[in-house]
Amino acid sequence: MADILVLVEHRRGEIRDITFEMLMKGKTLSEKTGKPLTALLLGNDVGEMAEGLKDLANRVVLIEDPKLENFNSEIYQRVLGNVIEQEKPFLLFIGHTAFGMDLAPTLATQMKAPLATDCTDVMVDDDQIRAIRQTYGGKLNVEVRLKPAPCSMVTVRPASVSVEDYSLAGEITRVTSPLTEEIASKRFLEYVEAAAGEVDITQANILVSVGRGIKDPENIPMVQELAKSLGATLSCSRPVVDKKWLPKDRQVGTSGKTVKPTVYIAIGISGAFQHIAGMKGSGTIIAINRDPKAPIFNVAHYGIVGDLLKIVPALKGKISEAFA
Amino acid sequence: MEVQKEGFLQKYDLYGCFQCGKCTGGCPVSLKSKLNIRKLMIEALLRDNLGNVVQREELWDCTTCKTCTLRCPRGLEPMDLLIGMRTLLVEEGHIPKTAIEALESTYKYGNPWGAAKNKRSEWANELGLKVLPQGDQASNLYFVCCTAAYDTRVQNVARSLVQCLRQIGYDFAILGNDETCCGSEIRRMGEEGLFEMLMDQNIESFNKYDFRSIVTTSPHCYNTIKNDYAQDGLDVRHYTQVLAEAVEEKNPFSGEVRKVITYHDPCFLGKQNGIFDEPRYILQSIAGVTFIDFDRSREKSLCCEGGGGRMWVEATDQGPRLAEIRVQDAVEMGAEILATACPFCLLTLEDAVKTTGNEERLRVMDISEILVEAL
Amino acid sequence: MEIIVCIKRVPETADADIVIDRTGRDIEKGGLVFDINEWDNYAVEEAILLKEKYGGSVTVISMGPEEVNETLRRALAMGADQAIRLTDPAFEGSDGYTIARVLSQAIKPLSYDLILTGVQTEDDGYGQVGPTLAEILGIRHAAVVNQIEGIESGRTRVHRELEGGLEEILDLELPAVLTIQTGINEPRYVSIMGIRKVAKKEIKVLGLRELAMKPEEAGEPGSLTVVEMVSFPPVGEGAQILEGTMDEISDKVVTILKEKGGVA
Repeated sequence: MADILVLVEHRRGEIRDITFEMLMKGKTLSEKTGKPLTALLLGNDVGEMAEGLKDLANRVVLIEDPKLENFNSEIYQRVLGNVIEQEKPFLLFIGHTAFGMDLAPTLATQMKAPLATDCTDVMVDDDQIRAIRQTYGGKLNVEVRLKPAPCSMVTVRPASVSVEDYSLAGEITRVTSPLTEEIASKRFLEYVEAAAGEVDITQANILVSVGRGIKDPENIPMVQELAKSLGATLSCSRPVVDKKWLPKDRQVGTSGKTVKPTVYIAIGISGAFQHIAGMKGSGTIIAINRDPKAPIFNVAHYGIVGDLLKIVPALKGKISEAFA
Repeated sequence: MEVQKEGFLQKYDLYGCFQCGKCTGGCPVSLKSKLNIRKLMIEALLRDNLGNVVQREELWDCTTCKTCTLRCPRGLEPMDLLIGMRTLLVEEGHIPKTAIEALESTYKYGNPWGAAKNKRSEWANELGLKVLPQGDQASNLYFVCCTAAYDTRVQNVARSLVQCLRQIGYDFAILGNDETCCGSEIRRMGEEGLFEMLMDQNIESFNKYDFRSIVTTSPHCYNTIKNDYAQDGLDVRHYTQVLAEAVEEKNPFSGEVRKVITYHDPCFLGKQNGIFDEPRYILQSIAGVTFIDFDRSREKSLCCEGGGGRMWVEATDQGPRLAEIRVQDAVEMGAEILATACPFCLLTLEDAVKTTGNEERLRVMDISEILVEAL
Repeated sequence: MEIIVCIKRVPETADADIVIDRTGRDIEKGGLVFDINEWDNYAVEEAILLKEKYGGSVTVISMGPEEVNETLRRALAMGADQAIRLTDPAFEGSDGYTIARVLSQAIKPLSYDLILTGVQTEDDGYGQVGPTLAEILGIRHAAVVNQIEGIESGRTRVHRELEGGLEEILDLELPAVLTIQTGINEPRYVSIMGIRKVAKKEIKVLGLRELAMKPEEAGEPGSLTVVEMVSFPPVGEGAQILEGTMDEISDKVVTILKEKGGVA
């Protein structure tokens, strides 16, 4: 059928944003190439979810099985291998998420499919697939060509596609689960929530956020002071948590919290996509970084290029005066 | 951790210790830290497993001010024992995370501040200094120091010093981006191998060029080049020595500074190298200065807690920082400027001025900065 | 417990000004500082911790030129027992799949219970080599692991880091490939003395022939994806850069904060 296939990502009964982003990208490519767009939904008792997706694809392929209750890459791979054999899709989209990172590489290898991971854009010209992905922490764009193959795969970086409203009025096709025996080699046991911290950064009106550029934990109090002068909450990027300079509940980004404060001040944060995905919805973003090419300046509204150790104290002084 | 205990004991001559306690008695951090150097000496001797002796956080409280060693009546070297113990921890790899960052940065970029190697001489961009690796020649080499090169506060000291050296007609050049960390703090954090590597790199640089002597910003660089490198024919001087000599000959700093000034002796300059008079002489030679000395000064001077890697390792103790005590003392005796001649002292004392809320009362300045005001 | 760790030596570019090279397909690497890929450092530490707990040995494998020995020696100094370097001009231009393919050829003859890799690398950031390797070897895998609870009767319980502070716990059959997330442990310091102690340790070097591979199976010919060109990301609308003295910049920020609100 040579469809463009989008693997629906959902967790605990909720469709994840990446799904809509991939469908949006898929729809654009579908219009260009004339290949139908199909959403592929695996799960247990997810009929309602399928209904909700009908408008966003030409077709929703629904496979239900109690064994698909929770995500398990091995079980998914077994089912998807089957679907790909039957459907012979032209291109399969999977999210570059914890879900996709566990699944896409092994599935692609099994299907001998070229795979481009963590893509921010995908182009198709005369059936030639090209993808844009970033390297060196977002400092470089790389254009990758996928060698011709019966089926190709791409994992899509979260928050790299803006979603618009559209309606395709698709229909639901139920496919019987090919799963027979239990797969015991990899077993999902349970979810665990990271321990709730003292601070809920998602509720803050203003966030002052520090990153790796702070260099030394002794400089954190200085930023804390700045936050205090603004009545803001202190948050941070992943490296600061990895170094144990601030607790996990302060972390902004895909593996931490997604935040949308009125004002977000990013200090010494270069702007890895995992971080940007967690804060780009903020009202006003002000970034301080010494590298004028830091990706954070692409999403920031205002930028200050320079040494944060000089800027932060100066800023704190002025702010204390202004908002005393 | 397995350690060849016997060799360790002999290296530090631990059998010679008779537990008089003069070392701990003089230790500036022992009052507030669990660190007890006398006990470490005996435990190293008696306990079977040296590995267990060194597994204690307070080992990182030591500032390597060397008071213990200087006071030992038997001529033993308790400070070196402590550094030796840190060396065991470093080789094992389990040391404070911040220390790891400083050491890895020094290995990769030649400075403990995590800054790019090719930006080392940015502080001097508009000064038109001579740079030896660029083919310039000079009678003397100015060894800048990582902290003076990168720390935005201390950069001002380096720039002031350049002004002072020019004022006295001192012919000098820098190594530019080829200068690498002297290794003083690296050695004192127990990373002996990295220290040796840095020393070799610096000596190789020194040998490439023709100059009479080296002048340093920092007493730490000065001490390590003089006493740790200990190369024959390598003349190294702290800048206060160079400036004091010039001032004595013909004082070119004729301006006035109408201030009450006291001076904090950096341990690595005073206690460890006996340079007490030169800094005082310079300050007293400035017109308008009223000089007062601390009660605890010269050999008895109180350490600021900036040495021995403590710039990168937070102490375990909860007591007041010694730098805060120093600042309070300075304020109480009516000083307006607390002068010093060491980048670490400058930073720790300036922090202490802020944490004690004395910003309005006391300024912390390097001697070179005060001299610039007297230009 | 026999553990293999696949590591990579990468240039540090976070603070560096990067320049696109003449081929237009990569960056100039001269002048950059190289170090072990951050994720891999956690993977090596995790392997050493497991060895300390369960006994056994750790073998580190890396691909690349002679300079990679430095990175392998660093891992040996951390406590790894053997090191293997895979090198051949034919490897140039390998994509994530082909890198896994080459690694698998080196790993097949070895005995192992666990293979660790970093989740991804700081340079290419494929995030695919570990799981691909598992598929080629026909063993289990888990990606983005931020905790290994323990190993018992041929199985392991691991935590995978999901989005939004959520984790899932999996139970896996060994042998398995785990891709290790940063923050899972605190990598130990590697002293220069430690590196010197392992300076004479043999590093096994294997090329295309030793790995029983044909040239067309490696590098660009063996790859399923090909880098066409690299470019700097478009700056987009980008930030309005505030300029002036510290005071002027600070004043501007205050004005913005007043306008955009938020300040109580």
